[in-house]
Parts: sequence; structure tokens; C-alpha cells
Amino acid sequence: MRTVLLRLVPLAAPIVLSAALAQFPAGAASRVVSLNLCTDELLVQLAPERIAALTYLARDPALSVVAVEAPRFPAVRPSAEAVLALNPDLVLAAPWGARAALAVVEARGVPVLRVDLPADFAGIRAQTRRLAAALGVGERGEALLAAMDARLAAAATRRPAAPPRALIWEPRGYTAGATSLGQAVLEAAGFANAAPGGQRRGLESLLADPPDLLVVPSRPAFPSLATDLLDHPALHGLPRVEIPPALTLCPGPWTAAAVSLLAR
Amino acid sequence: MTGRICILVAALVGASLLVGDAGVGLADPLILWQIRLPRTVLAAMAGGALALSGAALQGALRNRLADPGLLGIGGTAALAAVVAYYWGIGARFALATPLAGLLGGGLGAAILLGFAGRAPTGTALIVAGIGLSAIASALLALALTLAPNPFALAEITQWLMGSVENRTLADAALAAPLIVAGAAVLLSVGRGLDALALDEATAASLGLPVGRTLRRVAIGSAVAVGAVAACAGGIGFVGLIVPNLMRPLVGERPSALLAPSLAAGAALLLAADIAARIAPLWLPLNESPRLGILTALVGAPFLIVLSRRSQP
Repeated sequence: MRTVLLRLVPLAAPIVLSAALAQFPAGAASRVVSLNLCTDELLVQLAPERIAALTYLARDPALSVVAVEAPRFPAVRPSAEAVLALNPDLVLAAPWGARAALAVVEARGVPVLRVDLPADFAGIRAQTRRLAAALGVGERGEALLAAMDARLAAAATRRPAAPPRALIWEPRGYTAGATSLGQAVLEAAGFANAAPGGQRRGLESLLADPPDLLVVPSRPAFPSLATDLLDHPALHGLPRVEIPPALTLCPGPWTAAAVSLLAR
Repeated sequence: MTGRICILVAALVGASLLVGDAGVGLADPLILWQIRLPRTVLAAMAGGALALSGAALQGALRNRLADPGLLGIGGTAALAAVVAYYWGIGARFALATPLAGLLGGGLGAAILLGFAGRAPTGTALIVAGIGLSAIASALLALALTLAPNPFALAEITQWLMGSVENRTLADAALAAPLIVAGAAVLLSVGRGLDALALDEATAASLGLPVGRTLRRVAIGSAVAVGAVAACAGGIGFVGLIVPNLMRPLVGERPSALLAPSLAAGAALLLAADIAARIAPLWLPLNESPRLGILTALVGAPFLIVLSRRSQP
């Protein structure tokens, strides 16, 4: 994931971020529009009173950790017109996506904060602190991180000496590679990643070299061929842990809950 | 002829059990019985059913371009199966998806035969079928775009192009009785098709039930193709290629074409599925190509050649 981001965005995110921070002294942003699910989730947890609008994705319980709270706020599509109509004084976005809309928004003088999406817990700490500082809620950021670190510390005490091999197996056979958030979660829970190459694994190649533990997304509320695969009878003999996909889809303090589920 | 093709089918079944993404060769019993056996059974049944339906439709409509996929029967079946599956009806009772495929295929066949009754020229019928199939695939893509499911969009290819990957023995057991029933109906219409080959008026004057033959072809195709589409998606061109390949070998008589087409269709789709599994082992592919991609790559040039040859 990280290599892809860097390729797409030659300008590293922290540079953009510090420029936006200079424009924005702490506490100044009061009408904040978020155009990415990952910034939606952080914004709801850090400064709900500042929200002008979130994405529609934030309301989807299959994807979002703030699906319960999100319907209280307006939702916006990433179009320049819709965003400008909200008269925001800060727009949060991922380092990619909605580029045309963001260019128009920036040309109208609205600052855009592009928040990098880290793939490890150190990165999550830095990301949460940067955004909390930008919103002027540093202490709320620290509280979220303290809860995250408590979960991680609890998982670390249960760490076995020889780590068992766990495979994160997403619908359609995707695995988590060595530089992914998935591997950071596995390691924090005391497992070794059984697919450090991040290569796709079909049903057969999975069973030809079975991991000690299969880590799969918890069953969604809708039918799909991709998730039906996880119910294939040939997999019934493998121990598995189900993780709600929203916990690891976006990196954030909530990702530690996935570690707790695995370390149990 | 059918006997020789059956030996080929048996050889391909053996090969199909020896190939997979775990590698070529004898696999772990779990992989062999739970993963390779269901897909082998489904590929053979689907190919046989599609080719048999193609042979029967070509006889009934007296048009060698007829094919359940090209005529839209496969498309309407897949559309109905998609609606039943993604809106959760299939999750409530397992037979709902194949039954929906069957109903969709029946609707497609009814529309088509209704049209055929009024516009008997071959070209008009094919054009109507292409129209029906375009409507069905557009509605299928639209239904998946609207489906309450983030993966649905990625699954359009599965339904439009067809695949027997990752099917279970339960899937095969669910589809098998319907496919066998549909095939049995289609195999029973040989004599009626031979009579139709003369032309409808002559057949009727000989006291042969023209309408009943057409209806049985429609019902048999809808049941067999509908069940195939519900479990393997829309696999095109098998019903077109196979009877045309068999005709020089077994002659023009429609009834003589049915059983050889059934066997050769099974062989063709088994071969295509083996190729689909070997391709990612040898080529830098991220994903196994869908069955419909392979059958279209072979079948579409064949269609072009055939349509040139059938020009007056």
C-alpha cells in the first residue's frame, strides 16, 4: 500500500501537511469537510463539533468504525461544487483521489490537509497527533493513543516465544504484504505473517501450504461470491479468527482492536 | 463418434483433477475432492448442457448461428440469478438462485420464440437475440452496481464471463439435477427436430407436432442453461461452436447432432477450464482468466467465419 501511495503522490504528504498547519493555528478550523473515509473516522473521534460534512462511506457499517455516529452529520460527495457550497474552512483528504475537486477547492483559497495513511502503529501515532494538532485538540489525540497503546501492551504480554504463522486472507484471495498495516497488526498480536510477499493466494495454494491461523474479515450482512469463498467446506479444518474489516481498512487508533481480537 | 468423444472427456476429467493453483500433479485429497472435483463436474455439465442446447436450438430454428448465449437465454438466466443472489433470496433457500436462473432463461426463451414465430428469418432472429442479450447484460451490470455490496462491482466479470472456480460439491449437487433434467428434455426432441428440418408446413402436414417440439427445446434450454448460468455465470459461444464442429463429422441431421454435441461440449469446457488454471501457472497473470474469455476468443472468430460463409 505504502509504495503505491508514494508512486501516486510524488510530493510526500508531510510537506503538504506542514504548509497547511502553518496557515492554520490550533483551534482555528471550525467548519471541516472530510473527503476520505479514513479522515472521516479520525475527525469524528477527534472533533465532532467541527464537522461540516463527511463522506457517505462513513455511514456504511461494513467499512466504517463511526457508522453509528456518522448519520448525525451531513454527507458530501467529492465534487468541488458540493464542497464549496458548504463554505468550509478546512478540507481533509487522503494523499490521493478527488484531485480535480481538491484543485478547485484550493484555488478558491480553502486549505486542504492531505493526511497520509500509515501502515504501522508508529505511523498511526504520528498521523493522529498531526491531525489532532491541526484541529486544536491535542489532548483528545493523546487520549485516543493512550487507549490504543494500552490495548497493544495487553496483547504484547501474551506474545508466545515462537510466533505461529497467520495468513490474512481477504475476499478474492488478497493477502497482506510485508509493508502493510495487516502485517503490523499480526506482529503486534504475536504472529508471523505467512504471506510476506503479499501475493494473491487461491483456495488450492492456501490449502497446499496452510497457515497456523487464518485471519478473515467477519461475515458481511450482504451476499457476495468473494465472501462465499471463505465458507468453502475445504477450509473448515483451518483455525480462523474473524476481524471486522472496518478495523483495518483505515489505519487509526481503532486498529488496535484488531490486535486484541487476534491476541485473544 | 460419441464414444470416441467420451474417451476424450474421460481423459480431460483426469487432467482436470491433476491441475490447479497448488501445482500440476496429484494433490492432497482435500484439494482433490473438495476443490478440483466440483469444478470438474460443473465444467463438464455446463459445457455439455450449453452445447446440447445450441444443437437443439440450431435444429429448431433452422439456423446454425443459434446459441443460448448469443440468443440471450444465458444472459436473461444470469440476470435473474444475480437478482436472486445479491438481494439475499439465495441465502434464504439454496435452490432460489438456480431456480431464478431457470425462470430467467425461460423468460428469455419465451421472448425469443415469440419473436421467432412472427419473424422466421435467421438474421432477424439473431439480431433480436443479440438485442436481448445486450439488454440482459446491461441490466445485470446495473443490478450489480445497485447491489448492497462493495464487492458486487468486481463480480460483474464473474457473471458476464463465467467461471467454475471455487465451487463446492453442494453447488454441483444443486445444479446437477436441473442440468440433467434439461438435457434429458433436449435429448428427447431429436425426431421432432428432424421433421422440422424439412420445414414447418411439411412437418405439420406429416402430423408431427411442430409447436410441441419448439416448446420442448425452449423449456429444455431454459432449464439446462438457466441452471448453468446460476452456478457458473454466462459462458458464451460453446453452444455455437460445438454443433458446427460436429456437423462435418456426424452429418446434417439434427437428431444425430445432439449426443455428440453434448459430449464435445463437455470436452471443450473442460479443456477451457484446464487452460484457465494452467495460464496463471505459466504466464504472469494476477488472476485466472474467466471461462467466457477463453470461449469467446475461440468462438467469436468462428462466428465471423461462419457468418461470412452463410451469406447468400
